[in-house]
Amino acid sequence: MTTTHPTATPQANATGIPWKKVLLWSAIALTVIFSLGPPMWELLTSIKTNSAITADSVVYFPSLDQFTVEHYVQLFQRNQFHIYIFNSALVAIVSTVLCLGIGSPAAYALARLRIPGEQIVLACVLVVTLFPYILLFLGLLDLVRALGLANNYLALIIPYTAINMPLTILVMRSFFQQLPKDLEDSAKIDGYNTVQMLWQIVLPMTLPALVTTGILAFIFAWNEYIFALTFITRESMKTIPVAAAQLGGTTLFEVPYGPLAAATVIGTLPLVLLVLFFQRKIVQGLTAGSVKG
Amino acid sequence: MFDTLRNWVLQLGRRTRQAIAISAIAALVAIALGTWSVAQQPVTISFLVRAVEAEQLQLLVDQFEAENPDIRIDIVQGPNAADAVENLYTTSFLLGDSPYDLVYADVVWIPKFAAAGWLQDLSDRVSDDDLSAFLEADVLSGQYQDGLYRMPFRSDMGMLYYRTDVLDEIGAEPPETFEELLALAQQAQTETDVTWGFVWQGAQYEGLITNFVELVSGFGGFWVNPDTLEVGLDSPEAIAAVEFMRQVIADGITPGGVTNYIEEDSLRMFENGNALFLRNWPYVWAEANKDGSPVQGNIALKPMVHAEGQQPAACLGGWGFGLAVDTPHPDEAWRVVEFFTSRQGQKDFVLEFAYVPSRRDLFTDPDILAAFPHYQQLLEVAETTVPRPPVGQYAQISDILQRYLSAAITDQLSPEDAMQAAARETRRVLGSPDNNA
Amino acid sequence: MTQDYIRQRERRTGWLLILPALLVLLLVYAYPILRAFWLSVFTENLSTNLEPVFSGFENYGRMAQDGRFWASLGNTAIFTAASLVLELILGLGVALTLDQAFRGRGWVRTIAILPWALPTALIALAWRWIFNGEFGVWNDILMRLQIIGNPINWLGDPNWAMLGVIAADVWKTTSFVAILLLAGLQSIPQDLYEAHAIDGATPLQSFRKITLPLIMPQILIAMLFRFAQAFGIFDLIQVMTGGGPGGATEMVSLYIYATVMRYLDFGYGAALVVVTFVILIAVVAIAALYLSKVRHAAGVEE
Repeated sequence: MTTTHPTATPQANATGIPWKKVLLWSAIALTVIFSLGPPMWELLTSIKTNSAITADSVVYFPSLDQFTVEHYVQLFQRNQFHIYIFNSALVAIVSTVLCLGIGSPAAYALARLRIPGEQIVLACVLVVTLFPYILLFLGLLDLVRALGLANNYLALIIPYTAINMPLTILVMRSFFQQLPKDLEDSAKIDGYNTVQMLWQIVLPMTLPALVTTGILAFIFAWNEYIFALTFITRESMKTIPVAAAQLGGTTLFEVPYGPLAAATVIGTLPLVLLVLFFQRKIVQGLTAGSVKG
Repeated sequence: MFDTLRNWVLQLGRRTRQAIAISAIAALVAIALGTWSVAQQPVTISFLVRAVEAEQLQLLVDQFEAENPDIRIDIVQGPNAADAVENLYTTSFLLGDSPYDLVYADVVWIPKFAAAGWLQDLSDRVSDDDLSAFLEADVLSGQYQDGLYRMPFRSDMGMLYYRTDVLDEIGAEPPETFEELLALAQQAQTETDVTWGFVWQGAQYEGLITNFVELVSGFGGFWVNPDTLEVGLDSPEAIAAVEFMRQVIADGITPGGVTNYIEEDSLRMFENGNALFLRNWPYVWAEANKDGSPVQGNIALKPMVHAEGQQPAACLGGWGFGLAVDTPHPDEAWRVVEFFTSRQGQKDFVLEFAYVPSRRDLFTDPDILAAFPHYQQLLEVAETTVPRPPVGQYAQISDILQRYLSAAITDQLSPEDAMQAAARETRRVLGSPDNNA
Repeated sequence: MTQDYIRQRERRTGWLLILPALLVLLLVYAYPILRAFWLSVFTENLSTNLEPVFSGFENYGRMAQDGRFWASLGNTAIFTAASLVLELILGLGVALTLDQAFRGRGWVRTIAILPWALPTALIALAWRWIFNGEFGVWNDILMRLQIIGNPINWLGDPNWAMLGVIAADVWKTTSFVAILLLAGLQSIPQDLYEAHAIDGATPLQSFRKITLPLIMPQILIAMLFRFAQAFGIFDLIQVMTGGGPGGATEMVSLYIYATVMRYLDFGYGAALVVVTFVILIAVVAIAALYLSKVRHAAGVEE
């Protein structure tokens, strides 16, 4: 990827109205409103009292007496959302670490070592990135039942490790390919074997790449829905997306809009933070994972 | 080997030997204490309930726990749609390691859950004598093949509500047959200020099926014969039922929007005084008679209308308890079931929330009649209930029928084409004998 | 001799390094697909007491006459096509905007990525709330702008529900398309535009003559990814509408899920998986072929 550069070449504008500027800033404004609108609306809904939420005319910004944190309190007191957060974090972190631990060596081998069948492995990995999870859940259901993994974190950790594997291999492979080979050659001359060399010399240099891949893997694992919906039925082991989607109302006519909005905010907050801090890395990883493959 | 061990022990200093002995005793005591306290800890019986009902059931839970300190009841709140709750139960039993000891089940789930082997046969736990106190249809619908898999808790049935004031105004008696209903509806629409003659539930969902079941029975037809797996959807009677649905829309007796109506939409129409007849469930009575309702005191209910020479039919609904096959505490769970379905349990629940009991004598219980005088007529309706097909694939064939019924009443397909396609797909799913003419 | 030995050792180490990853991939990807092919020639459902009974191509025959399958396939096609077109147009717009130099570009880029990173199931909840027929903000905005007179029950009306889920999907994944296209835009050398401008070309002309052809590979890749995801969409629809009302937004994936998890019709569910898989692979193969051609052509032009 080349470095960023300005495309807007300043052109003399005869009419005096900077049409280009107007166009650009309205496009920027639209982009921002488009992207932020829905999450912001959830945030605003989550801090409104029930009567403000269901007011006859829509209340956009709650006044002081329409403001409440009751929905959040309810989520943690009645619905035990801290448990779901813990579950989501646990499976996402463990599967991410596993994925990096298993995927990076494979990526290295595919980037550096000449092995027969390399092209086939690579092609398979590429095609596999396109498989929707719905094609996998039936077979995985069989496995989960046969291995007795129902309501076991492993029933999520293993699939999550796998679904992030193609991405890890593709991103890490392209990083390894960019790494100067001299270093490894000299390490080999110094008598390191491949594993030692990987651990002591290559690993420290690939930390940034590992972080990039790890963030993406974490996002995918945190967001996964269909496996979490199918393989976990015990309330105390559910992950945030499933728990939020299954939030019931107290009466037939009263949908818990406030708690639903609050659950959305809680479940998205960690990812918002990740994007805020690692925006550049996410873009890098995504483009490396798909375009360079 | 034993010698080496003894030598080794002897070689240890006295102090060490003492320490080992003490810690061994301590460990034993700890284990004994642990077992004792586990044994003393109450057993937890868990089941999943739609959120709206979970809060109501708490009434009986509190009573039960006060009387049975050795058992805790943990009601997990599920989504409010019955389908969604069924899916959650299905997933947990299919996976194994189900967190639920009991199944609080809608009547139509039983064949599937029983066929899949997820429920215990209750025949040995309850005598025929005990069962005879319940409404017969409710008991029958809990049976699958030779077993009993559900104890009825609260019953539910479809019926016809009508406006007594409007019928008085046009000087008519409540209708018995389809023709009478059509004639009265049209008369009332022209002579009085009610806008619509008859409202019901026509959205593509299970409610549409319950309407259809009542009509098709009223015409003398059937959907599926559970014994022979024969499918009657393309019979003239079934097509006549669909025609009836289409006709009331076409004649302007029913609003066109009915094809998106669920129970609440039709109730609102009736409650606001805009309709003469309403097909709905028992809960409507309390809802339409509450203070401030425009039709308060002017409604009555009766069994559904039917074709000349046929019987009225009320679609049977209702909820009851099944015992999960892999529960570690079947006996404790059964005690919960007994309490909830007992006469007193049901009575308290009915008095508090105006549900319909599944025990026959509660309909004529003086306390209940004092609170809800219309339960006398409800019993009359309850005697006319018909079940939905008790087959394991019920959910599947219901979804097929919903699609084609909806297509027919929204004029996407003719009733004949729709019912023939529905019959064909249903036969395929059930593996029925091909009785297609 | 030693050269050969080193080669062999390298090969062995290579395979050892790949093996764990490969095993995980085989377990989670290969096994379920093969299993679906195998199971699809059996009838295993409640009428066989959940025991597999060989039935040949019976399941496929049933599918051919299954109105609901075709309806869900049609819905999936509409959803996929509409989402892809809209995402491409919007994504290109966002990418072109982000490619410009302006103050605060880093922030805008961060904001633009946000939708992609958020959990789809939760986003579905958010959109369900926005499109709520009674208290939804979308109705309020449209009514304030006098575009509609009465509130619309967006997700409750079979005619509007599809639009609703498409809107949510477009919102969620436009940023993914934009990110990929932006990378393509930034790899176009600036002097190409300058040379073109000197020749007297308008910006629109240079967009058509330079930008589009050069980012064609990225467009195709983005569309390929998006096709696969949209075709298998599950979480968004399941949470937003559950496939309703009346099956108006039921996608193949939801039908598969219901067939397996609700009807316990495993053999038929497997056949549905197989057919979906084959359609997907066929489209991907065609796209990949086309992509290699385009890449080749772009390479020649450069």
